Amino acid sequence: MTIVMISNRYQGSGEDLARTLAAKTRWPMLTRSEMQDQARKQGIKIGRLETSMIKRQTEKLAREKELYIAMLTAALCEKAREDNLIYTGRAGHLLLPGVSHRIRVGLTVPMDIRIERTVRALKLTPDKAENYLYQLDEDVERWIRYVHNADNHDPDAFDLFFNLEKMTLSNAADILCNMAEQPNFQSTPSSIALLDDLYISSQAKLRLAFDERTQAADLQVQADNGVITVTYPPHQEAISKYIPDVLADLDYCREIVCTMAETNILWVQERFTPESENYQQIIHLAQRWGAAIELMRLLPPGENIKIPAINNSTGTPDSNRRHYLSVAGCGVEDDDPDAELDDGGLGRVQEELIHLGRCGGQHTVCGGHDKILEQVQANGSYALVVIGDIFLSKGHSARTRRTRELVLHIRDRLKAPTITADELKSRFLFGPRQALTLVGFVALVFLIYWLVFTNQGQVMDFLSGSMHQHHKWLAAVSVFFFIPIIAYLYGTVTDLILKLINVD
Amino acid sequence: MHELLSMNFIDINLAVALQVILLGFIGGILSGFIGSGGAFFMTPGMMNLGVDGVIAVASNITHKFGKAMVGSRKHAAAGNVDKKLAAFMLGTAIIGIQVAVAINSYLFNESGGGHGAAKGAGANLYISLVFAFILTFVAVSMLRDVLKSGGNGEAGDGPSMKIAEFFSRLNLPPVIKFEVADTKVSLWVLMVVGIATGYLAGTIGVGGFIGVPAMIYIIGVPTAVATGTELFLALFMGGYGALSYAYQGFVDLRLSMLLYLGSLIGIHLGVYGVKVVKEKYIRVVTSLIILLCVISRVIAIPVYLRQLGFISFEADWDRYFNIASKFFLFASGISGALVILAKVVHAYLHRRKIQKTLLIHKSEKSAISPAESARAG
Repeated sequence: MTIVMISNRYQGSGEDLARTLAAKTRWPMLTRSEMQDQARKQGIKIGRLETSMIKRQTEKLAREKELYIAMLTAALCEKAREDNLIYTGRAGHLLLPGVSHRIRVGLTVPMDIRIERTVRALKLTPDKAENYLYQLDEDVERWIRYVHNADNHDPDAFDLFFNLEKMTLSNAADILCNMAEQPNFQSTPSSIALLDDLYISSQAKLRLAFDERTQAADLQVQADNGVITVTYPPHQEAISKYIPDVLADLDYCREIVCTMAETNILWVQERFTPESENYQQIIHLAQRWGAAIELMRLLPPGENIKIPAINNSTGTPDSNRRHYLSVAGCGVEDDDPDAELDDGGLGRVQEELIHLGRCGGQHTVCGGHDKILEQVQANGSYALVVIGDIFLSKGHSARTRRTRELVLHIRDRLKAPTITADELKSRFLFGPRQALTLVGFVALVFLIYWLVFTNQGQVMDFLSGSMHQHHKWLAAVSVFFFIPIIAYLYGTVTDLILKLINVD
Repeated sequence: MHELLSMNFIDINLAVALQVILLGFIGGILSGFIGSGGAFFMTPGMMNLGVDGVIAVASNITHKFGKAMVGSRKHAAAGNVDKKLAAFMLGTAIIGIQVAVAINSYLFNESGGGHGAAKGAGANLYISLVFAFILTFVAVSMLRDVLKSGGNGEAGDGPSMKIAEFFSRLNLPPVIKFEVADTKVSLWVLMVVGIATGYLAGTIGVGGFIGVPAMIYIIGVPTAVATGTELFLALFMGGYGALSYAYQGFVDLRLSMLLYLGSLIGIHLGVYGVKVVKEKYIRVVTSLIILLCVISRVIAIPVYLRQLGFISFEADWDRYFNIASKFFLFASGISGALVILAKVVHAYLHRRKIQKTLLIHKSEKSAISPAESARAG
């Protein structure tokens, strides 16, 4: 099975290409306008969302956006789990993040052609049509940045890009047909499992949003392997008791984890263990911040992982048969009934986190930074992203360099504080090194204040008295450099003291 | 100390030092909570301690320079700083600061007979009037917004974007696009906003009260980016203001240093307060604190008018005006800070109990197994 996701613009030939491909393949096709109709029927104020998004971005709007994406994802997953699928819409290439059997298609059509079509469609003059298109494209780009937290021009987000200046729609459709036959774009158990997770998480979001008992709650929902994790803020604890009822009878869901948390910390690592120093430090920070910890196991391409197969009729893993799907390099390698589950310690750490009341869910992704970003951009915001021990098969230098590059890339794209596990201690925790810094800086601050306040006459004479008259620039420059030094030294002291007493 | 007094600087003994530290602490809490520099409290507070208006402004802007350096680093890490927008605004803000420094210096040196207690009365009156006018406008607008939102306690529909939309459609060339803020605006609009921000930062040290709303309402910048960019801008404006005022000899380094002792602790507590207090509550508390600060400053105005010879009453009465002004200022600051601190302490104690996860096996959904831990401490 293959999913073709075509990114489209107004008068940009996306729907034409989708129709041509659908005619050649007889695959079902969905368009953005159909999805919008469906959204309206479900009570999502899509028109208001579009106009408001361009004018202003508010908390209410953020919830409406979540709802719209959930509805879109649920509808696409429902279709895509049964058959091949063609979808075309604005930012279509950004939907169903992480699913490996989708082909993300971009299109470019010369502006002259788009203007000509707009003139015909809207009965405008060419100048007005051009202005209209520029304005519309700008609004769409803003929509994509807001709704998907992504740049529409990022080439990494596409598998294929067509320039339709010379190429016919039929040729483009033929290329897509050939591409869909390639093994890389065929569905695998892991990509189907991800599709199921996207489906149940979006269904869960919709149920929680439309149920009057939970609709007022500010919830974060995600699913992994049939386990739905819902985090809710402490002030909405009263609502939490309804969550299990609302999510009852949800297909493919085998467990529900509800965690009360003020915020989320994402911890990315290759192998997890509750005995590790990283674990202890992150737990310490989560307790200070009232945060839930979301685990992400990152596997380099080519490594084998095994995921429990879910009995779709009951939504539970078939424990009697210990039936696991072995996935290699994000594709199926083996289906060994006797295989032992190697989840890289995720299960053990998750159990510990549940015990401590800090569980924020888990994922396993295979690949590089693009895979991490695809997963986390779909899940919401984080107070902190900690990149732990990854690239374990590499040497120390290569591991450090690649980890650093990954941190910079995620920080840049996610706009969330992203650090390595080594930095966690120096930036957020208080240890012997911080104690030493505190003592040294306190001594320095004390010395500077003592010097200034025991020599007030001379200091103020230099800054404003007779000495100042002869050295005005020197006095000004001295203040300019002295003040930031004081702010830095004393600022560090206060930071460290607050860390020491767990207030930050 | 007499040398200091002859240079128009106050004598700082332990009692005065503790009051300045307290001003810094309360100003820091309010600053972290409201998102402004806290000058609206610290500047008049120092004036109530006998510090000349221009010296209070100069010392505060110098203090703000260092504080902005620390704060803007954190905002930059969170991606809330549009450096291009800050650079454009800075160019014009410097003109505004220069105008403000020139007016303040002129009024300080030329008004009130040129020496003695009355020296600086002109600048004090001018600073107090600008302060009262601008902050009344800010507080009333804020209260009106809260009432309009229907009191549901949430941010509601957010700031109105009518003015920003009007300016963005104006297309008065050259129009500049700002990627981080995700908006575009005419250079001419930017210049007006920049000059106004710089002028107010230089006059009363509260440029953020104009800069942040102007960026949100006129330029259409998202609130988080407006705050981060303003802080980044404050770093340069503060640096330039400090340099200018220090060149004129108006910076009392001791006051700036004492303010740091309180403000850099207070600001952390204020920021923590924002996380645990409802949006509506923040706006109401903020506007009431600002209004009380305005009343405090208005009470002090007759003293400057008398010193300038516009009205006449016994000089002994100055003390009573000063006490009343001080009372209102400290009452607003201390009560505001106490309310915020109470919320912070409550949230801090409560946070340690936020450890709860329910695990529900769907196959046995009637039997909820609470893997629940509510470890206190």
